[in-house]
Amino acid sequence: MKVIRSIGALALLCATGAAPALAQQAAPKPPKPQISETTKQKAAEENANPDALVLADFQKRVDAYLAIHKEAAKDAPALKETNDPAQIKHAQESLGAKIRAARANAKQGDIMTPEIRNKFRRLMYPVVQGPSAQGTSGSAKAVKADVKDELKENSEERKEEGGKPVVLKVNATYPPDTPLPSTPPQVLMNLPKLPEQLEYRIVGKNLIIRDIDANIIVDFVPNAIQ
Amino acid sequence: MRRVFLFVLIPVAVACAMPEASVTAQTQVAAQTPVAAAPAPQSVPAGKVILPNKAGSIKFAVIGDTGTGDKHQLAVAKQLAATRSQFPFEFVIMVGDNIYGGNSSKDFENKFSTPYKPLLDGGIKFYAALGNHDDPSERFYKPFNMNGERYYSFKPADGVRFYALDSTYMDDKQLKWFEDQLKMSGSEWKIAFFHHPPYSSGETHGSDETLRTQLEPLFVKYGINVVLTGHEHFYERIKPQKGIAYFITGSSAKLREGNIKPADFEAAGFDTGYTFMVVEIIGDDMYYQAMTDGGKTVDSGSVHRVGKVEPTPNRTAQPIVPTTGNGKKLPPAGDRK
Repeated sequence: MKVIRSIGALALLCATGAAPALAQQAAPKPPKPQISETTKQKAAEENANPDALVLADFQKRVDAYLAIHKEAAKDAPALKETNDPAQIKHAQESLGAKIRAARANAKQGDIMTPEIRNKFRRLMYPVVQGPSAQGTSGSAKAVKADVKDELKENSEERKEEGGKPVVLKVNATYPPDTPLPSTPPQVLMNLPKLPEQLEYRIVGKNLIIRDIDANIIVDFVPNAIQ
Repeated sequence: MRRVFLFVLIPVAVACAMPEASVTAQTQVAAQTPVAAAPAPQSVPAGKVILPNKAGSIKFAVIGDTGTGDKHQLAVAKQLAATRSQFPFEFVIMVGDNIYGGNSSKDFENKFSTPYKPLLDGGIKFYAALGNHDDPSERFYKPFNMNGERYYSFKPADGVRFYALDSTYMDDKQLKWFEDQLKMSGSEWKIAFFHHPPYSSGETHGSDETLRTQLEPLFVKYGINVVLTGHEHFYERIKPQKGIAYFITGSSAKLREGNIKPADFEAAGFDTGYTFMVVEIIGDDMYYQAMTDGGKTVDSGSVHRVGKVEPTPNRTAQPIVPTTGNGKKLPPAGDRK
């Protein structure tokens, strides 16, 4: 009997003692920087920070998209105040169709290149999963808990509301009957600012860039949250 | 004796908390007349509005986190309409999460135009701020009166100006716009409304300290008097912070029962029922009453704004004094039913 008790106590001790260690193991490690050789070479030539070059490249690609958006908007019905939500949808769909036509060959990674995707994962990691928060005034623990709660709330709302699954595809329409998940402000603080026509949304573990006026997915980072 | 002591102490404490407030402001604080104490919430008959309801005053309602289309939103909407029959408010402030879930035409119907039909039919205007669950394209929905903008200001009547902010995307451009607007403002009541609360006792979200860091200096510098927010699915009134009165009304359709955790800055809270607020401004006094979908009063009182001080670059605090009739902290969440 004593032997059984001793084994039980030992098992309990191991279980409680190992729990924090297991939890620590379960926490994903921070993503390692993945800078392309081209960027590394350019950084060396210009004596620049490679990460700054990656973000500058992102900005350039966003600007290029915005030029397409603005050109398409010239011929699309203007988004204006209306009592009829269907008219808002119609304006979005018209603009979306024109943008789609203008970038018919667009594919994932045109804006979010591999090194930009990696940079985004690194920017999000501290507030979502990392041991310390950056760019916020709250404590690391509180910020992470808040982000976690908000993502959980998104997930619950998705279950409650139903709607079509979001197809992660460049140029795809964001399903109008599907909840738009929120993006925690702490995450937004850490990401590059977008022009007012675009927004970030976290869909599941993925980060999408959504064109608000056209309601289309411009590009996305799969598994932005690991 | 104790009341007299408090009456002397509160203005002194507020004055001490505003070291750079003008002498005039401090004098006005000390010279203010007390606002009559409101009855305790428990003693107010269900559905009764205890605001002064004075002819010519500015009357409005506040709802938040509304857009579910479910029975709770409908119940609050029904009570809101019933309340208007005795307290004729002219407009409704929506502090965000106006349309949860999808945002098809049917959604706008089920989650806005149908629940509030009696009010809309009565010509009541709604002014919306965007919440984290809202599609920014809602700004083009005319009944939200956003003028196609994510952030905007409006003056529904002489003596008060509202500032609707998009707290999900508080970027430099918006902050500059806000500051420019405040610089141009006059001596009216200045009320900001947006979704995320800079102060909150909520266990789920809590205070948005990042937002507080961004906005509070502007609030203080330019004399924002009152801040209305949602996001947390309960009602809460915060003890005035740097002279600013903060309210959370995020349970007009969603509720997180027992979510208020003890916090020093909480003045009153209610997290066991669905709520909305009715508010009345008469001169330098703003009276408020928070009610449930069943018409029960859960909080009431007033804030007194001292003086009509024009914004100046050197002013770092504004004269506002809380005078809550029943500003006792409510019992713990579990005991509030």
